[in-house]
Amino acid sequence: MLDVRNGAGERLGVLFDRYQAPLYNFYAKLTGDRTLSEDLVQEVFLRILKYSRSYQPGTPFRAWIYQIARNARVDHYRKTPKHITFEPEMAPPVKPKDAAQESQETELLHRALMGMPEEKREILILSRFQELKYEEIARLLGCELGTVKTRIHRAIQELRQIFRQLESGAAGSAAAAPAQALPPRRAGT
Amino acid sequence: MNCEQIGELLPDYLQGELRGEKKEFVELHLAQCAECRDEVAVWKKLALLPMEQPSAESRLRFEAMLHAYQEGRERTSAGFAREQHAARWSFWQWLRTPVGAVAWSAALLLIGIFAGNYFGNRAARPTPGQDEMAQMHQELTNMRQLVVLSLLTQQSASERLQGVSWSRGEAQLDPQVTAALLHTLRYDGNVDVRLAALDALSRHASQPQVRSGVLDALQQDQSPLVQVALIDQLVEWRDREATQHLRNFEQTPNLNPAVKQRAEWAVSKLN
Repeated sequence: MLDVRNGAGERLGVLFDRYQAPLYNFYAKLTGDRTLSEDLVQEVFLRILKYSRSYQPGTPFRAWIYQIARNARVDHYRKTPKHITFEPEMAPPVKPKDAAQESQETELLHRALMGMPEEKREILILSRFQELKYEEIARLLGCELGTVKTRIHRAIQELRQIFRQLESGAAGSAAAAPAQALPPRRAGT
Repeated sequence: MNCEQIGELLPDYLQGELRGEKKEFVELHLAQCAECRDEVAVWKKLALLPMEQPSAESRLRFEAMLHAYQEGRERTSAGFAREQHAARWSFWQWLRTPVGAVAWSAALLLIGIFAGNYFGNRAARPTPGQDEMAQMHQELTNMRQLVVLSLLTQQSASERLQGVSWSRGEAQLDPQVTAALLHTLRYDGNVDVRLAALDALSRHASQPQVRSGVLDALQQDQSPLVQVALIDQLVEWRDREATQHLRNFEQTPNLNPAVKQRAEWAVSKLN
């Protein structure tokens, strides 16, 4: 990171290779919008170039990059008012037949996650998929460690509730009209 | 232990960070409570969601962005050098503008006054007196400051930038120019002009109004770039009195986290 700070833009490529996938995963799970997620990842790296002077050597780079990522998203929504997005292609790829049940669960989980309030979804994603420690999340969100744990627990409670509701709904409609149980979807692109 | 108490321990349990007695408490509770057990099950199920992968074009877009950024930077720095080189040339063009015309007329008038004094006094005093030369020098300095002041009020950002760069040559800033530069630092709509004004002011830290002006600008400026530059300037001046201001500034709601971090760093540097 020191290299980037000193203006060696090429070194940014190494950081890009390391962080583009986790950042993309963060945005994709959070927004449910692939195109926007790719745009935001690019924006993060542009900001790293522009504001590399604000990085302090010796401080955790991962926390810094996620801070930039969160700001980039907030700024995006400030410019472009948010509308509910759910792309069918965001649903996980279709699995082979023997994994049919697992595939349905995956889809329901995805829908349950997208059905949560954004704040709760974000904290779940940060802790479950981005492998951030609770201390790092606390620093990122600017709150106490205890608050992070409480918020994560509440988020899990809510996810469970929505997931089980969707599950019983899907089971009900599956019994009534099996073909209509799931929305049409394309295989992952 | 009830569900609420277990809930406090659950996040650590899920990350595998619970040991000994506490872990046993949680496991005992989970064996008895279907709801909490289900929470753990749903958390584990999240692993079913695949990692979303960016498309292959993402890397290409990044490279294009990097290339464009570096090219833009090189152009800017080359352009800046060229601008400085061309400054003398554009001076002649500038003389055609209304501001130039005022300055030009003022210069002619000064030459007239000087010539009049010089030739008028020649009979009485064979050589021009030192005080007259000093006066002449003063008049020219004033004219230069007049030009700076005029340029700073221009519509075009590049002319304002030129005004700021003219003021850089001054060893001692006239209070009026200082005030104009501080005004530019606080209210100019262009980030580059504000940054240039800060740079021009940086050599005049001995003037108390410059220091307080920079602190005021920090409270007011919305651009992270300028905010960081202002903070850096305070650190460069080793302005210990700024520490309290920086602490208050850190508390500004919705402050850019990078700027906030910079302010924290500055406070630690100044202490």
